[in-house]
Amino acid sequence: MVDKARDLDDLGFDFLSGSGDFPLSTQWLTNYESNDTLLGAYGAGIFNTVRLVVIGIVLATVLGVLAGIARLSSNWLVAKLATLYVETIRNTPLLIQIVIWYTVVFLQLPRVENAIEYSGLFYLSVKGLALPSLTIDGSFGIWVFFLVLGAVAAFALQWWLHRNEEQEGGSKHAVAWAFLVFTVVAVVTYFLTGTPLEPDTPHVVITGANIYNVKGGIQVEPEFAAVLLGLVIYTGAFIAEIVRGGIQALPKGQTEAAAALGLSGYQRLTLIILPQALRIIIPPLTNQFLNLTKNSSLAVVIGYPEIIFVGNTMINKIGHAAPVYLMIFGTYLLLSLVISLSMNFFNRSVQLAGR
Amino acid sequence: MNVANTQDTRIERSTIDLARRWARANLFNGVPNTVLTLVSVTLAVYLIYTLARFVFVGADWEVVDVNRRLIFLGRYPKEEQWRIWPPMWMVMALGGLSYGMLSRGSLRDFAWLGAAVVFILAFLATTTNGMLFGGGVVLAIAAYGLGRLTIDRPLVRSKLRMVTIVGWFLVIPFAIILITGFGGVKPALWGGLLLNVLLAAIGIAVGLPLGILLALSRATSLPVLKGFSTAIIEITRGGPLIAWLFIARFVLPAFIPDAFQTDPIVNSMIVVSLFTGAYVAEIVRGGLQAVDKGQVEAADALGLGTFNVTVFIVLPQAIRAVIPALVSQMIALWKDTTLFAFLGFTDALSGGQAAYNQAAFKGSQIEVLVFVALLFWAVAFGMSRLSQRFERVLGIGVR
Repeated sequence: MVDKARDLDDLGFDFLSGSGDFPLSTQWLTNYESNDTLLGAYGAGIFNTVRLVVIGIVLATVLGVLAGIARLSSNWLVAKLATLYVETIRNTPLLIQIVIWYTVVFLQLPRVENAIEYSGLFYLSVKGLALPSLTIDGSFGIWVFFLVLGAVAAFALQWWLHRNEEQEGGSKHAVAWAFLVFTVVAVVTYFLTGTPLEPDTPHVVITGANIYNVKGGIQVEPEFAAVLLGLVIYTGAFIAEIVRGGIQALPKGQTEAAAALGLSGYQRLTLIILPQALRIIIPPLTNQFLNLTKNSSLAVVIGYPEIIFVGNTMINKIGHAAPVYLMIFGTYLLLSLVISLSMNFFNRSVQLAGR
Repeated sequence: MNVANTQDTRIERSTIDLARRWARANLFNGVPNTVLTLVSVTLAVYLIYTLARFVFVGADWEVVDVNRRLIFLGRYPKEEQWRIWPPMWMVMALGGLSYGMLSRGSLRDFAWLGAAVVFILAFLATTTNGMLFGGGVVLAIAAYGLGRLTIDRPLVRSKLRMVTIVGWFLVIPFAIILITGFGGVKPALWGGLLLNVLLAAIGIAVGLPLGILLALSRATSLPVLKGFSTAIIEITRGGPLIAWLFIARFVLPAFIPDAFQTDPIVNSMIVVSLFTGAYVAEIVRGGLQAVDKGQVEAADALGLGTFNVTVFIVLPQAIRAVIPALVSQMIALWKDTTLFAFLGFTDALSGGQAAYNQAAFKGSQIEVLVFVALLFWAVAFGMSRLSQRFERVLGIGVR
């Protein structure tokens, strides 16, 4: 696989400015062409890893928090279903789950001409999921300026109402008012600036004899969808356990006192339980985010071009294994550092002050 | 008053009423909960229906049935199969002994174990294998009886406990020596689920002591040793296991002179052990930090040397505190052994993939993958349940 002589000759990074002459299967926002430099190829790999990690972390957190709360639900059936989810997923290798999502679900979808579609809104086929997107035109910048103004106004209003609420008691619906102000500003200026966003809906085009393709909109490749689904469902199960542990570690008196004050179930959860549980949850949650980042590398087994896939392709084509793997480890290190630092920052803001 | 009481008891006695009350309290208290229940019922019914239909109607299990050997043993030679049985008996006997000594045994456990035995028996192809396995079951039951008998003989019990612990430590070396040694099977020919089991066993057998050493050297005040072990731990944990495995498989051989080349599978085993060691080190470090400082000071005051303090005072307490995390790491290692499928080794997953790539079984990916997933799930789930039981018996986390 690796040419030894070539490898030992050159341990520098000069080779990156040359071209590897290989295509990558995904094109979403990367614009990589096969005659681009290897640095460009690796950059596309980094982008593919980062979009997997970022979207994965957000979705896994949402799923994990919901499942963790569901496990403690007073509703017997909901709690049992959540337990079933956690115990099945957590104890099965992620790799097998990804392979199952890919080969059993996404590769068995119909061909493009028979895609599962909903009036041009989305196409689900063996080539992946196509969703509508928006393209921007000239006046977009002006609209964004108004959006920022609207957001500032909304925050100011919320802060003011919230202060009133604290001083005078009673609910002034601060968040709802702020949201309303922002929406009104956004909608009105959208039409004033002459509708700067153009919808771009996916559509099927025939590019040759019996060759169908989906063009337009956002194309979610089946590899990306399979890995993302696998990562989110797997990590979500671990996060659910962390959330459950964090909530259970709180003294029961907190819930009881909140109930005695007349707070509703939703208020108890969002105002009393979760903010306190957050202090216990964040450190292990950070660990799960780091795990998700490293687990994103499993995408390589189904051919999703993340950094290890791109790196291995580069090594296959032109060698230079040592610098390539140095780059890969550097990238993971950087990603981990960014996640750790931002989570530490977040952690400091929720910890108890003083003592 | 009296009348109301009798009525109450009558209602309590009626099972239907009890069920109705329970449902009202747990499923239908309030509108949101009722909606949740209805949604969950739909989901549960759908899940059960799809699963049952798949297992009994949709699925064609022939592909698994025909390729049992491929999934469980890979390319492992048939005539050397006898080497697997003695370690397996040892595990079963030790398992029975430990269970008998730790727990009274419940009907529920026996039901689960019985189901597992029936499942395995149904899977063993030949009568000989069935009898060999049955022998192991008898051995396990006998060991369990022995464990129960010592309940009120503390002297015998403490000796038996020593034997069990030493036995557990010896089982992995014994298995590897018996399988490889005396003209046995080279690691390159290990395959199927056996490969996954041995990989996980070697990973933990090497990784655990290595991790403890790394953790201890990270906790010393010697700057060189401390820096060295910290660097090893952090660099290893910095990248994903699959990157390390790719390096060991495809990159490192280019830098090693031909005279020192080792078997690819051995290289990969070394990597897995190092990787496990780094994670174990971090877990044990947490345990070391949890040991009360007074323990060390008291031991020092008694005149124990540094070595004795570490081995007999600090480590036992540190490791006891982190047993749950160590078991989680073992489970993670067990699941990670599937990565070997993508390095060109025939483990259970790649054996399964080879099975569904056969022309005769086109389109049977789901049966094979679900079956392999189930195998991994069963072991991992069993381990996590065992560790929970173990924690309760040892009273970990209860103060």
